[in-house]
Amino acid sequence: MDEEDIEKAVMTYLKKKGFKQTELAFQEEQQRQHPKTALNSTNSHVDPEIACQILSFSSELENNPAQYHEGYGKLRSWAYSSLDLYKHELLRVLYPVFVHCFMDLIAKGHIQEARTLFNSFREDHEMMHARDLQKLEGVLSPSHLEEMEFAHSLRQSKFNIKICQYSYDLLLQYLHKTQSVVMLGLINEHINFQVSPGQPTSISDDAEVVTFMGSGQDATNLINQKEIHWGLLEDSLEERLEKAGALVPDSAKVDGEAREGEVEENKKRPYEGGKQGASLKKSKKDKVATATGKASRVETSTVSVAPRVKPELTLPSIPAEVEHSILEDLRNRVQLSSAALPSISFYTFINTHNGLNCASISQDGSLVAGGFSDSSLKVWDMAKLGQQTGYATSQIVEDSYPSDSLLGANSGRKSYTLFQGHSGPVYSATFSPFGDYILSSSSDSTIRLWSTNLNTNLVCYKGHNYPVWDVQFSPVGHYFASSSHDRTARIWSMDRMQPLRIMAGHLSDVDCLQWHVNCNYIATGSSDKTVRLWDVQSGECVRIFIGHRSMILSLAMSPDGRYMASGDEDGTVMMWELASGRCISPLVGHTSCVWTLAFSCEGSLLASGSADCTVKLWDVTASTKLLKTEDNKTGSINRLRSLKTLPTKSTPVYSLQFSRRNLLFAAGVLSKNT
Amino acid sequence: MSIVPKETIEVTAQSIGINNLSPDAALALAPDVEYRLREIMQEAIKCMRHSKRNLLTTEDVDSALRLRNVEPIYGFASGSGDPLRFRRALGHRDLFYVDDKDVDFKDVIEAPLPKAPLDCSVVCHWLAIEGVQPAIPENAPVEVIRAPSETKLPEQKEDGLPVDIRLPVKHVLSRELQLYFDKITELVVSRSDSVLFKEALASLATDSGLHPLVPYFTCFIADEVSHGLSNFPLLFALMRLVWSLLQNPHIHIEPYLHQLMPSVVTCLVAKRLGNRLADNHWELRDFTATVVASICKRFSHVYNNLQTRLTKTLLHAFLDPKRAITQHYGAIQGLAALGPNVVRLLVVPNLETYLRLLEPEMLLEKQKNEMKRHEAWRVYGALLSAAGQSIYDRLKMFPSMPSPPASTVWKTNFRIIHSCSANKRRTPADLLEEQPPAEKIGNDGALVPLSNNSSDMETDKDPAALGDSSAGRSSPKDIRESHSERRQKRDQLEKRILRTPALLNQAWKDDLDSGRLLLLLFELFGESIFPFIPSPEMAFFL
Repeated sequence: MDEEDIEKAVMTYLKKKGFKQTELAFQEEQQRQHPKTALNSTNSHVDPEIACQILSFSSELENNPAQYHEGYGKLRSWAYSSLDLYKHELLRVLYPVFVHCFMDLIAKGHIQEARTLFNSFREDHEMMHARDLQKLEGVLSPSHLEEMEFAHSLRQSKFNIKICQYSYDLLLQYLHKTQSVVMLGLINEHINFQVSPGQPTSISDDAEVVTFMGSGQDATNLINQKEIHWGLLEDSLEERLEKAGALVPDSAKVDGEAREGEVEENKKRPYEGGKQGASLKKSKKDKVATATGKASRVETSTVSVAPRVKPELTLPSIPAEVEHSILEDLRNRVQLSSAALPSISFYTFINTHNGLNCASISQDGSLVAGGFSDSSLKVWDMAKLGQQTGYATSQIVEDSYPSDSLLGANSGRKSYTLFQGHSGPVYSATFSPFGDYILSSSSDSTIRLWSTNLNTNLVCYKGHNYPVWDVQFSPVGHYFASSSHDRTARIWSMDRMQPLRIMAGHLSDVDCLQWHVNCNYIATGSSDKTVRLWDVQSGECVRIFIGHRSMILSLAMSPDGRYMASGDEDGTVMMWELASGRCISPLVGHTSCVWTLAFSCEGSLLASGSADCTVKLWDVTASTKLLKTEDNKTGSINRLRSLKTLPTKSTPVYSLQFSRRNLLFAAGVLSKNT
Repeated sequence: MSIVPKETIEVTAQSIGINNLSPDAALALAPDVEYRLREIMQEAIKCMRHSKRNLLTTEDVDSALRLRNVEPIYGFASGSGDPLRFRRALGHRDLFYVDDKDVDFKDVIEAPLPKAPLDCSVVCHWLAIEGVQPAIPENAPVEVIRAPSETKLPEQKEDGLPVDIRLPVKHVLSRELQLYFDKITELVVSRSDSVLFKEALASLATDSGLHPLVPYFTCFIADEVSHGLSNFPLLFALMRLVWSLLQNPHIHIEPYLHQLMPSVVTCLVAKRLGNRLADNHWELRDFTATVVASICKRFSHVYNNLQTRLTKTLLHAFLDPKRAITQHYGAIQGLAALGPNVVRLLVVPNLETYLRLLEPEMLLEKQKNEMKRHEAWRVYGALLSAAGQSIYDRLKMFPSMPSPPASTVWKTNFRIIHSCSANKRRTPADLLEEQPPAEKIGNDGALVPLSNNSSDMETDKDPAALGDSSAGRSSPKDIRESHSERRQKRDQLEKRILRTPALLNQAWKDDLDSGRLLLLLFELFGESIFPFIPSPEMAFFL
């Protein structure tokens, strides 16, 4: 059988299907290309059966959409009746097949059949993939498939399934025996089996075995192999304190030097451009310091000290007095551990009339900002608040109390400073590290910079095209990052109107973000259920963390820069190791959205605040130690230990913040209906 | 096929003026409408999450529409008191409309302005101090923790964590008990004079299984006493309730005594009990005194300091001249109820000074206010009765003896004087003994008119009130007390001399004291004390 036979087969197929235009076009083309094909015909040894195959395959497919239903049904009943030992592995195959059957049917226009298939089998997957099913349910025409990012990414990529050798053989045998070409095709096309020799894995690992790769597994792997420098910044204040503490007699001297250096720096600052500045100066200073305190430092830092990295950004300088107060704070820091839990001061918002969208607490806990759906941003000075409530008891004193806030005149006896400027709900607010600036992001797609000293708006940053969900100051101030509904995250500096970097790659909204402690990376959490780590300097994605089952709502970076925690809509918190990109352990305990996460200053505790009206404290050190001893076995065994659950009085926890002295501040809204 | 039926599309089309929409177009549009709806909802849910809520509002849908560059739907606000509802049109199975009320402008304009909503503010409290939640009203009550902790307990133990949540004791009150409690309290408050209340008291005094109610009763009593001091029937009912509770053998009331005692003592020594003249608060005080006494008797071995504290309180009330006379009365009754020993030790030493204070109150010419005078006489009566009881108790102890030879007595007497030189009271006592006639005369001169006066008054005013004393009032007798006392003493000594010297010492002292006591009481009360002296002693006395 030569090429002509195939052409004949095609012709008959076209006739059969009634594609007259195509038939004509095909014939024309055939005639035009005939000499060429004739030439080629000698070289091509086409399997004669191919044509038959194509014919039967296509005719079967096109004519009989019920085949999907039937094929899937058979596969399903076979999987359910398979050997118990291998059953759970074989059942894993069903979901991808199901999803693709449905989408194939839709794509071919068999909407009705797709519906029946979906409705008859959705029960099976309801437990594991409820949210995905909800999304898919709405897909009703081929055009929707193209439009919907979720369906699109499903079509584009493959499922990754771990399966043991024997299960794989069983499956292949079945597919060959039943001649269910449709199923075979689907499985070949959309599932990537990772066949492992030996016994099937235990059921408990389910979460990790079926993973869906957004841009294909290879790409992710490739990205996750990139090198990242997760170490701390050179010459951080903590480090300096460590040294100062180690050599008590010399501490004054070092301090003095440090201050001298600062003064020098400040003097030079105006003359030298932004580029050189701090890093150079500081590294020089560092050398001096290390020279004096090298011996003692080695002793003190036997506990695995995080590697030091150079900052890729030009860092702003810290004023001497601020630095001094920070050092003072660090000296007075309470050491927290599983035995020594923190004190928690809780700020409760009342009478918000369901209008509060976000709350933010400054580093020292003295300022609290709330972003409201009526576009306003309100800032409370907690120190002043205490005074005023004290005055409330004696009316006379309160009346004579001079209101020193700028807005005092028009805000009357309000206890807060009102910042107005946005034209849409304020979704996020963040304090600069020293509490003198506030950034707020809003649904009007702008970010505004406010000064807490002047009580006024300084800058309005326009760049995003859609609501800006989150904005975060970098740990050193000056730089900030924002994330938006437009699926990008952007890096800004306070003195530029335009973003410095745009991070694009997420498949859906970027819902939250967090700076790495060394300011070289930012992490973003998205509605596409992944967390990505981006290099600030290059703007590249350097890690993709896959494992969450729903939208990511909160992120936190450990102070040693090694770990990251992420919380999602279902109440799961996951702990990731940045270097490997792997999940250390899922923390299960919350029953509702995890709005906020915070690491304690020395990284031994993780606090999580949730919509289920609790603050939970987790032991970080125990789990990471466990990880080391067990030498990176499967993550699900070593769960982080939950140390304490602190219920609030029907107050969902919106924000958590550890002060430098390790006092934990929390904020939430008293809500009666939840 | 789609959840949006094609009829809906057709109706919508008609509503915007497209009358000739072909069924095919409607059929094709329906799935797309469903998809768009889902899309909007997906965005709305995102907005909801970013507003940190779990409840989807119309604002979320509006902002989702804005995100898609669609004009939001106006007129549907969530959170307003009256949510819009869909109504089914009459006669049509599947035709719905929005129930939109007509609002009269006049009503709107004339309606008073609603209250301005409270402004948003922030309050601060400690959620935890070093990991432990302080029990303050801002924090969730411990009960909330209990339910989950029961399920979590084993899990935490597996981890080897110290479990520091102490499970609170479950206190379940059955419905029957609740009803019982409600009924009793209602009776106490409103119908304390009914027969039913008597039945209730009997039930309280005898029924078993009332123990779970005791904390509620004590709370109730404390509350009502503190609020209802002017409501005499209520107070009396409450004290009877206390009495019944005390009587019940199935109730362990000890743990609640500290709550109960303040209210009871209040009913004893409060300045005013009841607000009407007709209220016989004397009776209440007397009754409360017996309650107090019975509490002391029953629980003084459990609480060592119960009686001391109580007597201290009462004595303080008694000795404070600034207190109202009614308070003194209550204190005296309370002390008297605690037993003759208490009276002898605490009341009698202060008797003389007190009577000196009381005297002007009782005299017609000095105290014009009849009410006050009446009160003073009441107190006098109480004092008399208390002192009398005490001396009666004293004398009762000594059985009448055959008179011994006088010589032995004198010997012993002598010996003891020497052996117990530390006994300093002896000397004045002896002195007193030596000179009774002179003093007696003086006292008689002072007291006889007074006592006459008193008896007149009593007969005039309130003969029943001093029943106990008036009953035994007899004609004045000549008293040879010194003689009789010596005789008694001799008898006693005679008897005790045979026992150990230590006992003897004590007995001598006691004897001497009681002799002195009798003398003193006679000095103060005159012959009205006589009814309390048992007849054999009286014989000696005489």
